[in-house]
Amino acid sequence: MSLKNVMENWSAYRKDAEAGGHHTYEHRWAMSINLDLCIGCNACSTACYAENNLAVVGPERFAKGQAMHWMRIERYWDVEDKEYPDQGASFLPMMCQQCGAATCEPVCPVAATYHTPDGLNAQVYNRCIGSRYCSNNCPFRVRYFNFYSYYESAWPEPMHLQLNPDLSVRDKGVMEKCTFCVQRIRVAKDKAKIENRKVKDGEFTTACAQACPTSAIVFGDTMDPESKVSMLWKQHQVTRAVYKQHKEDPELRGYRIFEELNVDPSVMYLERVRDTTV
Amino acid sequence: MSGKLNRRDFLKALGLGGTATLAGCDMPTTVTLEEGKEDVVSYLLPEEYVIPGVGVTYASTCTQCNAGCGVHGRVREGRVLKVEGHPDSPINAGKTCQMGQALVQAHYNPDRIKSPMVREGGSLVPATWEKAQALLDEKLGSKANLAAGRVAWLTGTVSGHQRALITNHLESVGSNHHFAVEVVNTNVWSAVSRDMLDDPQPQISLDKAKLILSFGADFMGTWQSPVHFAGQFSRMRTAADRGALIQVESKMSMTGGSADLWVAIRPGTEGILALGLANYLIANGVSSASLPGDARDKLAAYDMQKVSNATGVSTATIERIGKALKNRAPSVVLAGAAVEGQVNGYEAVSAIMLLNVMLGNIGQTILPSGKFPLQQLEAKVGGTRDLAAFAQAAAQKQFDVVLVHGANPVFTAPASLKLDEALASVPFKVVMTQFPDETAMMADLVLPVSSTLEDWGTHVAAYQAGASNISIQQPLMEPLYDQTRGFGDIVISMLAMRNAAQYGSFKDYYGYLRNVFANLKGAGATASLSPDEFWNNSLQAGMIKIDSTPRKHTVKASIAAIDAPAADANFPLTLIPSARMGLFDGRHANLPWLQESPDQIAKVVWGSWAEIHPSTASKMGITHGDVIRIESEAGGIEARAYLTNTVHADAIAVPLGQGHTEYGRYAKGRGVNPLKIVKAAVDAKTGELALFATRVKVSKTNKNEIILRLGHSDTQHGRRLVRTVSVDALKRTKGA
Amino acid sequence: MVQWIRTRMFRKYAHGAFHPVSLGVALILAWSMMTSTGFAADVQPPGGVHKGVDVEQPIEFPHNIHVEVNKINCMYCHTYARRSKVAGIPPTSKCMGCHKIIATDKPRIQKLTEYWQKGESPKWKKVHDVPDFVHFTHERHLKKFVFDRDYPVEDVKEVCAFCHGQIKEMTVAKKVKPLNMGWCAGCHEKNGGPGDCWKCHK
Repeated sequence: MSLKNVMENWSAYRKDAEAGGHHTYEHRWAMSINLDLCIGCNACSTACYAENNLAVVGPERFAKGQAMHWMRIERYWDVEDKEYPDQGASFLPMMCQQCGAATCEPVCPVAATYHTPDGLNAQVYNRCIGSRYCSNNCPFRVRYFNFYSYYESAWPEPMHLQLNPDLSVRDKGVMEKCTFCVQRIRVAKDKAKIENRKVKDGEFTTACAQACPTSAIVFGDTMDPESKVSMLWKQHQVTRAVYKQHKEDPELRGYRIFEELNVDPSVMYLERVRDTTV
Repeated sequence: MSGKLNRRDFLKALGLGGTATLAGCDMPTTVTLEEGKEDVVSYLLPEEYVIPGVGVTYASTCTQCNAGCGVHGRVREGRVLKVEGHPDSPINAGKTCQMGQALVQAHYNPDRIKSPMVREGGSLVPATWEKAQALLDEKLGSKANLAAGRVAWLTGTVSGHQRALITNHLESVGSNHHFAVEVVNTNVWSAVSRDMLDDPQPQISLDKAKLILSFGADFMGTWQSPVHFAGQFSRMRTAADRGALIQVESKMSMTGGSADLWVAIRPGTEGILALGLANYLIANGVSSASLPGDARDKLAAYDMQKVSNATGVSTATIERIGKALKNRAPSVVLAGAAVEGQVNGYEAVSAIMLLNVMLGNIGQTILPSGKFPLQQLEAKVGGTRDLAAFAQAAAQKQFDVVLVHGANPVFTAPASLKLDEALASVPFKVVMTQFPDETAMMADLVLPVSSTLEDWGTHVAAYQAGASNISIQQPLMEPLYDQTRGFGDIVISMLAMRNAAQYGSFKDYYGYLRNVFANLKGAGATASLSPDEFWNNSLQAGMIKIDSTPRKHTVKASIAAIDAPAADANFPLTLIPSARMGLFDGRHANLPWLQESPDQIAKVVWGSWAEIHPSTASKMGITHGDVIRIESEAGGIEARAYLTNTVHADAIAVPLGQGHTEYGRYAKGRGVNPLKIVKAAVDAKTGELALFATRVKVSKTNKNEIILRLGHSDTQHGRRLVRTVSVDALKRTKGA
Repeated sequence: MVQWIRTRMFRKYAHGAFHPVSLGVALILAWSMMTSTGFAADVQPPGGVHKGVDVEQPIEFPHNIHVEVNKINCMYCHTYARRSKVAGIPPTSKCMGCHKIIATDKPRIQKLTEYWQKGESPKWKKVHDVPDFVHFTHERHLKKFVFDRDYPVEDVKEVCAFCHGQIKEMTVAKKVKPLNMGWCAGCHEKNGGPGDCWKCHK
């Protein structure tokens, strides 16, 4: 059935995305991550564990690639054949890119992952049957599967008291991933609605952006033209719903990873800078 | 239409399964939709600002390291859920590091000690507080027969009123032995700053620098005030004229990973390179007017070729660094633990500070600090000199009673100091701690203290970033266990035993603080406040601003010759026991978030490893994952070899953090502690241990094991996930 | 089947919250409800019933006396409802505020006073519950159905009754509405509530 779903919807789905998306969006949450500022310190990643009830899986399961780090810092080296890496490391904070045309969505046989009117890739744990198609179809490898009932061991008493009641603790057989801290979005939107106003830029942010000691991560709504993240996207002439950017100034540093796959990621990275003149 | 919504009852828990929950429908419970199965308990008396289901934020201070960052704790239904940075803190400006994020895990740690323990028949057994207090009274109370100087306190870096109380307690028992021990410190840097600038903690302004030359200072990871410096670094990078970072070290630190130019240097030769650079600068027209008269002659001995031979840094690279220093002003030159931790650490740091003097950085990027007016509250800064001094004094049977708090010296002391034996010989050892660490396991009396999030405290960071402050630590929730006590409460009770007239009237540490805060109320805006108003305002702000008198920098530069560490054919490599943001000196090894958080450079989790350069490894036939034996004159450890070119070919790096023999389920029995095989050499001038000067030899065992790490690819395979541009491109786009 | 789930989900955002057919049904229902509850056509209280069990509480709290006889507003005691996602159980001090003086001869009040004097709160049994994976907020619902519509706050019990039934007629509360997803979603559809899964699933 799922294959049929993919086949029938694929081209319409793609075309929709290229035409600016098929949703009437309320918000489009997005990020800008300045790789020149990322120092690879893991503050974001640990903040994510704290905010999102991420299970610590322990060494045995980590060895099998079952760690649940929604946000991880990848580290790459530039050149292999040098005696020493004289330009330091390349750090890459990697989490769900909340693609506008996500490859994870159409393959879900039960619509547990879908696109929200906020431009997020939602994961509805209750719907998920654990087929893991989404994870296998994600080019970023940012979906994490609960192979075990981690709640049985990951929060021995009284550690469970730290669990954030604003989101679920996931059990065995469910896929999970970065949500752009949807629980914070929810609170902010509720608050704004109660006060009959729009959500203000900067009135809340994601756990990672809040922690980031160098402020490398900027989070906001690209539908708000005044938001910091909108300005950054504009400044770097990065637009959505394209698989190749057509910049007036091609040297501007903004880019999206795997954009060429036409997935329309919501995270813009700014190129790392190295001063080779010192 | 029945109530059986729990078709998916896999979403078991938000915790608290089945127990009473507080005031509302939104508390974590086992999923049950059956009516009448779960308890809800309302508040007895409501606090006006506490609304169930809505988080309340309280200000406090992080104690995960000694930087003293302000935090905001989010509290809901009486539980602390998360800490964030305090936006108004001049230290961290709303940001946190990963250790700060894990503050809640130290609080909710399942391995906390839940009641006092007394040694009976050789083993520690749980006891009541009455019994513990009686024991304290017997050994330290008014009737105790204490000769002068027979009591010692052994702590980590301690400041604020906790420090004042310790001082007072020592006074009350007729002693002045307060040992403060920290393995991660900047004491040699401070000593040099004090001698050369008349300022032990000069303010560093990285954001004003156009160039940072850091000799192994991991200033965004472990050096002085990492979150503060990360913020400065961010501003330096985003300035219109982007500042650059040159990092010179033998093992790449987290900060080194962000370098524009990373230079591997032979261990222990950083000072020589600094002198070589000074020589280069003079030869290339930088004025030596600020230097002593004989500077030119002394420096002339450090010609480029000689320096290159000694340091292993190519002449081209030396020239490159020299040019950068000359052309980019202001710069700032820093020295880190690997430079300090040598037998001539003082001289090496002096040579590095000399560059700051020559380049005119003093007054530009190195600024005078404020003199904190309340001396009794100033940080008693820990170091490794006290580690050795304590071991020696205890071995000489100088103490009858030792009180330990905020330190785990049995874990951090090199085996060669024989600190454990010395401590064992002390007749009565009291350890005040949250966790069953190695030192606690040796105690005669273990007193379980409250966590940071349950306790009162005041802190004065040794490195006062920006303005002078007393940071306030306040309880964010009720203690989890009724048999734990606040540290201040314990000391107050001990003081009352000796000096009832002065301390008997304080019910607890809170009462004491309320009392002393009345005196902290300064002039100006706070003068008109009532004591209660001042107290409440201070708690809300999380800090009290203190007017300090600015110091004046008077430069007294000196130059001493620096020799390279002697080669040793039997021990060809130098051991680098590197600390890192995360597990730090091992104190955070019991926090599962940090255990599972990869080392920033090696990306290893949950264990120890030994970083060795591929060229060195290939000579010995060592491959990745081989278990190797690393031996010094002081002992040996085994670890898995991690082949990487982020370590100098003459060095082997074994990160700190693991190797706990106690310390709870997450830490115990995992990996090795490189400090154990460090030879007890000291920096001659300061007496600090030369932690980075131990020579080792490496041999293979016949085992090969998997090194657990994040990701299995070190390269991007041409995918350009992280794209790098040159700074020229950045300039053309005007810094965008 | 799968096709259906997908298109239905997406269409909801593409064409607004109302499905033309359900809109028609809603209007008819609205009209019929209007005559019975006095609500204007803009609100469609959810239907559905649930046969709840009788829950034994530590004190048999008579909602009916408080609401019907003494005309106390629901939000006087469940004061958090308009400020938080949870309505909350009133603090014991609130009970004692009145019952230090009123009805002190009644066994229930004597039991309450015992709790108060011991410095304890009664352990109430939870009656209305949604699963932990559900984000439900009283605040937003009150805002929409009471404050935004200028619905008389003194009649708020009629709005509370949407989900809690006629509590005013009960002693201890009893669950009489299903409070399950289909039921919630039905009401959202009728009243233009959000249809996004993530609005409620957390």
